[in-house]
This record gives sequence, C-alpha cells and structure tokens, in this order.
Amino acid sequence: MIALRNVTKTYQVSKEIAVMAVRGVSLNVERGEFVIVTGRSGSGKTTVLNLAAGLVKPTSGEVCLGDVNLWSLADREQSLLRNRKIGFVFQFPSLLPSLTVLENVALPTIFGTNHRGQDPYERAAELLDMVGLSDKLSAYPRQLSAGQQQRVVIARALIGPPEVLLADEPTSNLDEQTEHEIMDLFRDIHTQTGVTVVLVTHTSQLVSYGTRAIEMASGVIVNHQI
Amino acid sequence: MFKIAAAIIVVLALVIGILPQFTDCQSQGRALALQNGKTVPMKCHWTAIAEIGMAVPLVGVGTVMGVSKRKESCRIIAGLGALLGIFVILFPTRLIGVCASADMLCNSVMKPTLILSGIVIIAISIATLIISERQPEQFA
Amino acid sequence: MNLGQLAWRNIKGNAFRSWVVFLCAMVVAGFSLSAVMIIRGAEDSLRLALNRLGADIIVVPEGAETKVETALLMGKPVKVWMPQENLDKIARIPGVAVASPQLYLSSLSNASCCSVSEMFMVAFDPKTDFTIEPWLKQKLGHELRLGESVGGSNVFTPEGEENIKLYGYFITLKGNLTSTGTGLDQTMFLTFETAQDVARISKTRAERPLEIPANSISAALVKVQPGSDPRSVALDIMQKVPGVTPIESPNMFQTFRQQIMGLLRGMLLILSITLVLSLVLISLIFSMAANERRRELGVLRALGATRGFVFQSILAEAVMLAVDGGAVGIALACLATFLFRDLLVRSLGIPFLLPSLPSLVTLIGGGLVLALSGVTLAALIPAFKISRQDPALAMRE
Repeated sequence: MIALRNVTKTYQVSKEIAVMAVRGVSLNVERGEFVIVTGRSGSGKTTVLNLAAGLVKPTSGEVCLGDVNLWSLADREQSLLRNRKIGFVFQFPSLLPSLTVLENVALPTIFGTNHRGQDPYERAAELLDMVGLSDKLSAYPRQLSAGQQQRVVIARALIGPPEVLLADEPTSNLDEQTEHEIMDLFRDIHTQTGVTVVLVTHTSQLVSYGTRAIEMASGVIVNHQI
Repeated sequence: MFKIAAAIIVVLALVIGILPQFTDCQSQGRALALQNGKTVPMKCHWTAIAEIGMAVPLVGVGTVMGVSKRKESCRIIAGLGALLGIFVILFPTRLIGVCASADMLCNSVMKPTLILSGIVIIAISIATLIISERQPEQFA
Repeated sequence: MNLGQLAWRNIKGNAFRSWVVFLCAMVVAGFSLSAVMIIRGAEDSLRLALNRLGADIIVVPEGAETKVETALLMGKPVKVWMPQENLDKIARIPGVAVASPQLYLSSLSNASCCSVSEMFMVAFDPKTDFTIEPWLKQKLGHELRLGESVGGSNVFTPEGEENIKLYGYFITLKGNLTSTGTGLDQTMFLTFETAQDVARISKTRAERPLEIPANSISAALVKVQPGSDPRSVALDIMQKVPGVTPIESPNMFQTFRQQIMGLLRGMLLILSITLVLSLVLISLIFSMAANERRRELGVLRALGATRGFVFQSILAEAVMLAVDGGAVGIALACLATFLFRDLLVRSLGIPFLLPSLPSLVTLIGGGLVLALSGVTLAALIPAFKISRQDPALAMRE
C-alpha cells in the first residue's frame, strides 16, 4: 500500500547546518494494516509520516502509494491523489475556525474528492454521527473541547473515503481518558472499514492498538514488532 | 458589524443635529425682512430645527443597535433608523426646504450633507436588517 | 462550498484586517473617481461654455480679460466698458464676418428692488447676435420682446412670483438654456432694448439706478469668415483697434485651464501617494495574514488543495474586498460629487458639469478596475509565496 524505499530527508537549517531527519528508511505498509510508529521527539517519525503523505519531498529515495511514485506526479495530480486516497489527522488543532463542524468535515470535497455521488454534507453528517458528534453539526470549532475537535478531524479524514489514514500524534494534546477514547475510535474505524492506518505517537503504551509497531530513533527504524 | 454600524449612525446623527445650526442662513446673519419691518428666519432655519428632532432619536437608534443582542430588537431599530433617515432627507428637500439660491451655504453645504447622511443611514439600516435576519434569535 | 464561499468565510473571520483592506479599496476607488469626475467636469464645462459663446474671437477692453473670463465662467458680475465705435472698427477688419456687441450688467446686492442678488446680466443686440438668437428661434420661435429674457439653467422666477424683479422692473423669463456648468448657467440674457428700459425705470424705482454709460459696450463677439485665420484677424484687431484685447476661442479661459491643470497635478499627486500607501498597507496585511494562516493553508494542502487553489483563495479574498470596497467608494464619490457640486465650484473656483450617463459608467468601470488591480497586485506576492511553501514546513510551529 505505502512503500518508502531507502528514503532520506535532510533539512538545511542554515548554510552550514544540515539536519538529517530520516536516514535511508525503508518501510512497507500493507493494505489493512494498523501500524503504530513510536519514538522520542526528533526521532524522525513525523517526517516519515509527512513523506508517506507526500507533504515533503525526500532528499533521496522513493515514496510510493500503491504503484505510484508520489514525486513522479505534478502538483495537481499529487494533490488529487492525496485528496482521494489519504486521510490525515494532525497533532495540532487543524479545523478552520470560520467554518462550522459540518463544513469542516465536508471541506476536502471541494478539492475534488470522489464521494461516490453522495451529497458531501450528507456524508459529512454520517461521519459525524459515527464519531458521536451528530448534535454538533452547526457548532464552530471554538465551541468544542479538544477531544471533540479531534473527532471532527478524524471524521474529515474519512470523507474520501481514503485508502490510508495517517495520524500524527493525534492524542498528544489530550488527557488520558480522552486519549483512550480517540484510540478506541481509530481501532473501531480500522475494524469496520478496513482502512490502512499509520499512527505516530510518542506514547509506547499505545502500541497494543495496532497490528504492527515500529520504533524509530535518530532517523532510522530501530525496532519492528508485530 | 452592528457596533460599527451603530457608531456610524451616532456620528451621523451628531452631524445631522449640529451642522445645520452653523450652516443655515440664520447663523450667517441672514433673515427674511417682512413689509412691516420685522425679520423672520428663512426656511432653512426651520429645517435645521426639524433635523434636531431627527438627530436625537437617531442617537438612540445607534446606541440601542450597538448594545442590542436580540434579533427582534435589531429589526425594529433598523426599521426605525431607515424611517428617520428618510425624514432627514425629506426635510431639506420636500417638507420644509432650504433657500433656492446656489450661493447660500444652506443650499451648497447643509442640504447635500443632510441628504448624504440620510442616504448612508438608510443604507446602514437596511444592511443591518438583512444581516440580523440571518442571525439566531439571540446573538453575541 | 466553493472557493468564493471559503474566501468569504475567511474575510468574515478576520474582521479587522478585512475592514482595513476594504477601506483602502474604498478610498482609492472613491478618490480616483472624484478626481477624474472633477477634472473631466471642468473640461467639459469649459468646452460647453465655448460652444455656447459661439464666437471665434471675443474682444474685451484691454486688461479686462481675466475679469470677463471670471464673469462668464463663474457668474461673478463684472463691469467693463469700451467705446461703441470700437465695434465699427472691428466689423471693418478683413476676415470678420459678424461683430456683435454685448453689455455686462449686474443686479443689486441685497436690495429689495431686485429679487435676485448680484446676478450677472448680459444684454445682446438681436440684429447681430449669433449665440442666443439661434436658440431663441429654435425654442421660442420668435425673438425676445421688450421685458423678456432667457436665463441659464439655474435662473428661475422666485417662488410665488410671476416675474423676476430687477431694479424695480419686472422681467418675464421665457426659457432656460441647457446647463454648461459655468457661470453662464446663472446669467440672464436680455436685449439691449430691455436693458435700456430697465435703466430708465431704475431711476425712479430702484434703490440705486442701473448705469449704462452712453455709447459704450462691454465686449464684442466676433465670428470670422470661413477660410479666414482667426489668429490673423485677432492680430489685426489688436493693431487697428487701440485699447482692446482680442481673445481667440482656443485661448479663452486660460487662467482657468491653468487652474485646472494645477488642480489635476495636485490631485494626481495625492492619488499616487494614496495608491502607493494603500498598496503597501494591503501588501503588508496580506503578508501578515498569509503568515498567520500558514498552518491553516498547509492543512488545506494536506487535504488535497493544489498550490493553485491556495493562491486563488487568497486572491479571491483580495478581489472580493476590492470589489466591495471599490463599489462603496465609488457610490460615495458619485453621491458626494453630485450633492456637493455647488460647493466644489465655489471652493475650487473652477466650472463643473456632471458627466453624462455613458461617461459616468465608463468612469465607474475605471475606478473599479483601479481598486481591483491595486488590491490584487498587492496580494499577489504574499499569495504566491505561501502557495509555494512546503505543506509540512508550513504546518510546523
């Protein structure tokens, strides 16, 4: 499903200083897997996720989604692919403050998502019902708690519906109870829809939610667990 | 948005009430001389007085618009504002009038200022009415 | 939801910034339209006034050029005199087809015997006149009779009265000429015969009599023969008729032309400064906004928005604010120019005529285009920069 082949990413911090965030990482994520990527801050796990989503270009190596090398595509095709096949859950609050909850969830559809002919707002309402927020359709993000906002982001990520769900530390700003609620939601979604999930977290206790765990340190994969 | 509209209405209300006092012919030392020797103010003076009668409620309209949080109140106030704006225009043009000569300050300054102020107040009131229709019954 | 709706939501979500851009667009569009309307209005007015005068050359007493131009353009009465015999001398000059005399008179100021204070009155000779007579023939079908007059577009009989009282003499207003935006609109035109009658009656009925010096005229309007060069005729007049200044039609109103040019330069300077300052401010605002929304725009990219979409969404906000602000600025400018035109004329000291509807539509279009292109230009670079940024980098804190 997702393949990173000997991927390196170096950030040029200044003229003299370059930081190698990811070093020669190769990773295959098969369809239907729920992969948890753990590691400390600066281990390169977020960069691996961004590389998988095509949000950052590798310095060397290949990133493939299915058979397609993401960086062989022009921006337009890459954006469309990302829109249709990848759902992204961010670490930070990423809802647009000027849109309602329903509008936020339906937002990706304006970039061309194929939602199989269904009205995007109907689909958005269904997803919000799935994540337990059917009573918040016309609320604005500022009226929701952090946990509720994250549920909305998850619903938005599923609007495609995507083939891959990428989540970058989705529970880092949440309390323990809410963290488990969100992780339960991820597991339920994975079980019900069969979507491939790659979730990055610094909390190693969460590896039990996945079908496979990968540990990263200093830009390389140091541990594989099934 | 409503606070800005309210502020503009209050400022214009002050202009409507105060400016004519300094631009009517009475303030320029001109009056109508009757055959019996008495002098009476010209009609622009009466327009200026009438405009005070519009300015005072307009200050009230602006104030209420600025503090109101209810859709119903906003609607009523906006309607009242529009009506007052219409009268602000009618007084110097039809109901009382100003001096006919283009030389006179009441004709070249007072009348156009009142008409412009009236138009702006009507426009703001209508805009407030339309926007408040889209708000919930009680808004922040 | 589409790009436009998203842009509108963003505009509402950043009220202060949106208002600043809106106001900049409003000021730029409004001020540029006002400036163009005033300058065009002044030029149109001068052109119409020249057409109304209809003369190739106007001969005035030496040194009285500015006073006469001011009288004709601004309606400020003037009293200038030259010997009537000058008329015969002018008529005899080769190339002169017609020479028609005029008397420049004025009603009294704040006098009970005059129902209009300090009104400019022009007396003409119906036998030789070629400016008012054609209009009279067309509109009235006959010449003016004794006691009758025609007025400029702003001359009217006082409310409740049937005639205009001048020096205790009742004059019937038979019609109004079309507007020129100049002092000719406040001028009354009457025949020599009526003027002399007014002078006669004023001796007994007016607070002060109307004095018309014997054997004197104020000016002579000259039409040259077809094929003759007005320049040569004017030079001839200057040489052969002492004590007069011939003013050729294209050179008429030079003082006002210079004033208009001066005003134009001043307005262009202010407009340029306003435009530059507005563009800089708008550019700064969009840069700030793009920077603050960096993360949000990175999210849009992650959700599948192309670079083009991000670029267009910022520009869409700019365009909406430009059009809305521009439209309001233009509406206010049109209203204010229309309502305050009399004050404009008096305070700027230039004639002014409102543009015709087709002209106005063109000017409005121009004003909107200026606001639109200015704001869009200012937003272009920030929009381009942010759309090119790496989404992952954009989403970093």
